[in-house]
Amino acid sequence: MAKQVGRDQQGITLRGSAEIVAEFFSYGINSILYQRGIYPPETFTRVQKYGLTLLVTTDPELKNYLNNVVEQMKEWLYKCIVQRLVVVISSIENNEVLERWQFDIECDKTAKDESAPREKSQKAIQDEIRSVIRQITATVTFLPLLETACAFDLLIYTDKDLAVPEKWEESGPQFIANSEEVRLRSFTTTIHKVNSMVAYKKDSFP
Amino acid sequence: MSQDCNDEWELSKENVQPLRQGRVMSTLQEALAQQETSSHTAVQLKKQEFESEIRFYTGDDPLDVWDRYIKWTEQTFPQGGKESNLAAILERAVKALNEQRQYYKDPRYLNLWLKFGNLCNEPLDLYSYLHSQEIGTTLALLYITWAEVLEARGSFKKADLIFQEGLQRKAEPLDKLQSHHRQFQTRVSRQALLGLEEAPDENDTDLLGTAEPQRSSLADLKGRGKKKVRAPINRVGDALKATNQTRSSRSLNSQQLSNNLGFAVFDENSASGPEIPVLTPQPWIAPPAPRAKENELSAGPWNAGRRPRSTAHSGIEVPYPLPSFTPYVEESAQQQVMTPCKIEPSINHVLSARKPEKEEDPLQRVQNHQQGTEEKKEVVMYCKDKVYAGVEEFSLEEIRAEIYRQKAKKKTEEEIQAIAQKKEEIQRKIEELEKKLKKKDDKQQQLREQPTEITEALPPSGMQGFTFSSATEVGEKQSQLQSEFQVSEDTQPHKPSCSEEVFQSLDECPDTQRGNVFSDSEDEQEKLRPEASLGGKDVGLLPQRDPAMFFSIFDESSTLANQNTSCSADHTQKSARRPLAVRKPSDSLTAKENISPEACDELNGIEPLTEDAILTGSYKHKTLCANPEDTCDFVRAAHLASTPFHGVVAQRVPDPAFAESVLKEDCPESKSAPLNQEMLVCEGVYNEALCVKKLSPIMEASVEDTRSSGSSVSSGSSLSSVTQISAIKFPHIPEKLELAQSLPAETAPDSGGITENITDDDETQFLWSAEQRKKLLDPMPESLTASAAFHLDPGTLPVMGLEKDVELGNETYCIKWEYWTNEEYKMFFAIPANFPQLDAKGFAIKVYSQPVPWDFYITLQLQERLNTDFDQSFSENCSCYMYRDGCAILHRDINHFTLGDVIRECKSITEEVILLVVYNLLGVVEKLHKAEIVHGDLSPEVFFLGDRICDPFANDEMTRALKIVDFSHSLDLRLQSQVSLPNSFPISQTPHGQQLLAKSSLPYQVDLVGIADIVHLMLFGDHVQVYQENSIWKIGQNLSKTVDSDFWSKLFGRILNADGKSTVPLLRELREEISDMFDSCFQERLCESLAALGETFLLENFL
Repeated sequence: MAKQVGRDQQGITLRGSAEIVAEFFSYGINSILYQRGIYPPETFTRVQKYGLTLLVTTDPELKNYLNNVVEQMKEWLYKCIVQRLVVVISSIENNEVLERWQFDIECDKTAKDESAPREKSQKAIQDEIRSVIRQITATVTFLPLLETACAFDLLIYTDKDLAVPEKWEESGPQFIANSEEVRLRSFTTTIHKVNSMVAYKKDSFP
Repeated sequence: MSQDCNDEWELSKENVQPLRQGRVMSTLQEALAQQETSSHTAVQLKKQEFESEIRFYTGDDPLDVWDRYIKWTEQTFPQGGKESNLAAILERAVKALNEQRQYYKDPRYLNLWLKFGNLCNEPLDLYSYLHSQEIGTTLALLYITWAEVLEARGSFKKADLIFQEGLQRKAEPLDKLQSHHRQFQTRVSRQALLGLEEAPDENDTDLLGTAEPQRSSLADLKGRGKKKVRAPINRVGDALKATNQTRSSRSLNSQQLSNNLGFAVFDENSASGPEIPVLTPQPWIAPPAPRAKENELSAGPWNAGRRPRSTAHSGIEVPYPLPSFTPYVEESAQQQVMTPCKIEPSINHVLSARKPEKEEDPLQRVQNHQQGTEEKKEVVMYCKDKVYAGVEEFSLEEIRAEIYRQKAKKKTEEEIQAIAQKKEEIQRKIEELEKKLKKKDDKQQQLREQPTEITEALPPSGMQGFTFSSATEVGEKQSQLQSEFQVSEDTQPHKPSCSEEVFQSLDECPDTQRGNVFSDSEDEQEKLRPEASLGGKDVGLLPQRDPAMFFSIFDESSTLANQNTSCSADHTQKSARRPLAVRKPSDSLTAKENISPEACDELNGIEPLTEDAILTGSYKHKTLCANPEDTCDFVRAAHLASTPFHGVVAQRVPDPAFAESVLKEDCPESKSAPLNQEMLVCEGVYNEALCVKKLSPIMEASVEDTRSSGSSVSSGSSLSSVTQISAIKFPHIPEKLELAQSLPAETAPDSGGITENITDDDETQFLWSAEQRKKLLDPMPESLTASAAFHLDPGTLPVMGLEKDVELGNETYCIKWEYWTNEEYKMFFAIPANFPQLDAKGFAIKVYSQPVPWDFYITLQLQERLNTDFDQSFSENCSCYMYRDGCAILHRDINHFTLGDVIRECKSITEEVILLVVYNLLGVVEKLHKAEIVHGDLSPEVFFLGDRICDPFANDEMTRALKIVDFSHSLDLRLQSQVSLPNSFPISQTPHGQQLLAKSSLPYQVDLVGIADIVHLMLFGDHVQVYQENSIWKIGQNLSKTVDSDFWSKLFGRILNADGKSTVPLLRELREEISDMFDSCFQERLCESLAALGETFLLENFL
């Protein structure tokens, strides 16, 4: 699964960038699913990535689903028509949205026309990604405990004129009413910039 | 949120405790940032706010405050720990809200307990406690939490039982409970399956023995293994058991699902317990069987442990009464034995488990507290609940400040409201008037259209003019008012409660308030008041609180003024000063009654006292009267408190017949054989008599009032020496009298070790005690019995009291005034009953409760010894009425007032009068001493005013200024020659007396001290204060201000330092020195000042 893109290259191309970002999403979503306990922890396995030990699902169906999404994302990223990816965590029992992980993607559309790769070392990008994933892990310090069994949804915001592919459907934004939002770090490949943010239900704090 | 900010939480994420409900990022960031800068002020303020809210919460939901406080604390102190004090807050909250049944079904309350449970050594205990107390038993959360903890420890069966119990009880929300139960079941079944699969594995490891799982300390954290990457973390304890050694990453399961991460770590050692069969039967953990609810409370040993009172080991210090403990220790010991090599001792030491015994379990503390409150008998007399309500201690000042703040806030709110109301009213009025105006206008227009009715239209037009003007007036007034109000508001701190006009008048004299306060004239007050009301009827607009202050100050000064002028105000003082006085209705006293309630009201008007009442919590303990801060009531009650306990007016204390010879036997002196038969008969009566005679402790310790202390000293005595006579005259009661004779000796030890025998001169002697005198007057001297003024009456002493008619001899007297009273004797002023008009002159009646006419004896002795020198200074016309149980001595031609009255009521006595009085005083004492009689208790009260002062037309030469009739404490040194102990005189118990008489040897000295005190009282209005300088006694006051300062300093110097010298020449010398000052000019001035005195004092006091 871990594709090593442009290991020896010094520049970043659009395709390479799309792959890096899509890969980040793959690991990021896996991390969220594990950290937030959406799936039983025993269905995850460890892998070394970005200099970290990450947990990825071993559940074949989930794996398949995520792969599909990531592939789709890669394509859209390459076309620079995707704006945002949202992981919505909602309670199974009453479908209430409890958490909302939002990754805003800024595409540098000029890169489509360029042929020359951008100057940014892969290591630098990986460092940035690592810090984002670390933050995702660290969010347990402030996120509320998910007391009920939860499910997750993936929302992808694309440009308007995009045809909805098969097995995808249009959906609302699924915001959380009265939410607390925390921005996480962002990273950029110089072509795609990803800003992360998590929103969660605000309790009746004093 | 900026990117920079973001780092904070991530950098110290290890220091943030996860919360079930999550954290507010902003608070978290703030808290973490503050941690570095250590500027906690905001946090501290907020904390203070909560603390005071806890104390002064008035609503009906105190839990709310605690709930918010706890939530805030959780948010503000992300790292928990000591600083947050969360444990203490929870404990305090639990204690504070203990037994509050209305919260037992409140999820917040349950949450509070559950949070508290996390801090307990054994949360399971707490859960069963909650269960037994029915706290939160209707809530699913209890069962879920409980089951989770059990599950984390591997007690799946019990966890399931708990779930079942919850489902049985239909705990809310039920669906949540059900879903948790389902999840629990799936987890358990999955583990069971996995356990089956991996069973052989486990056996292997068990066989190996050395592979017994232990955490390897400081181990490498890198993954190991070639085929299967395995974290090198060895999970032990429940984590291990829960996952049944599916080592990979499954162990996280329990962490993820158990709500309380802490427990897994906390009970590391014990958690592995469930595997060992010893631990499983824990009867106190198991919830009661669902169907045996009625047995719940008495079911398990847990209950017994919870209330150790009922069991034998009921001490608070009982370490841990639960049976599970012993196996717990054994088990850990076993483990160590099994794998000693695995753990390096040094490292083990570092990570050694906390010793639970050392730290008292908070749960236990709370329970102890509960028990404590049940058993406590102490009554806290200050507002302890407020001081210790929160986590932090509040000082009384803080509480007071808070109360004050609240009050102030309320007041300002009220004021604002009042102003708003007033504004509205005015607005409405204006509108009304405008309406009227319009109507009038319309009418007028109509009228103009109808010129025929012009005559009728005229008055309305006039009206219109009026209303119009008034309308504008109101409008103007309103604006004026506003400005006015602002003015007064600005100046409020300095000059409260004044409207503008008042200001102006006040401004005229700077330092106005002071000026007003000290000006006695009430006119000024009244001037101010109308002005205030004139200043617009808008006084209502102004803050109302201030007038109270204003007036209270005024009243004080006005009462002072009253004191100056009227004697009635003084009576209050008098009664306060004389604790022994029994209040009786009389003319002058009613006057006092009229005054004191007023004074009370004034005192009530002063507000701050009420705060103190709340503070001190005295509102709970109303012992004195309805309103404890009412000092007037206290004053009223004060003399009740210090009067002797006997309910009856102590006129004739124990009947001499009430004697008892059991005690008598202690006294060898008074043995009389025939009395022994009477012993038993009299016993009961005697006891009664003893009770009656008991004095209050206050009285016995009192040194304020010389007379009262004297009385307590002499209270033990009872008899005179009339026995002989009575034995002759009343042969039917001789035994009784003789019995009575024995009584004083018996009671003497009670009243402070008195011996009745003078000849035993090595003992302290109370020289004037009646029993002593009885002996002295036994047999009754011829001179006494032979005197024409001596009347013997076989009956009992008539009851005497205020406003009562009493028959003495053939005359009937009406008692009008009581000078003093105590156990032994009373002094009354009486007038003949058939002359109801109260005159300045009347009769002084001294009533002895024992048949010892000592005064009469002394008077007769004086007459005998002084011959021609016996003059108006003494009672020339007195008679004695002896009764079986007491005697009365009647002095005729006595002026109503004493020197004490003059000193009290005249703020300043003119020098001439003082000289006159001192002249007479010296003369009297000189004569007494010449006759070898020591008065012993010279005070202004014993000197009645003589005709020289009272009678304006009196002969200068013949009359005297003072008359002395009372000789209660006098000594006849011819009779009592061995006496050399002035220490027992009442005056020697005053501060100055103590100093001056410490080493004195001559009893005459006592009277000199008395003189010094009287002179000082007349000069300065207070008792003499002395000090010694170069072994010379001096007085504390500066004499240089007095007119004849040279003479006075000489007088004091000589009188105070007359130790050992003969007193008669000294007194004569001093007297002659005064008489040298009596020139014609002096006489004139004296006449003037006496007239003035007579006018201001004598006349007024009478009317």
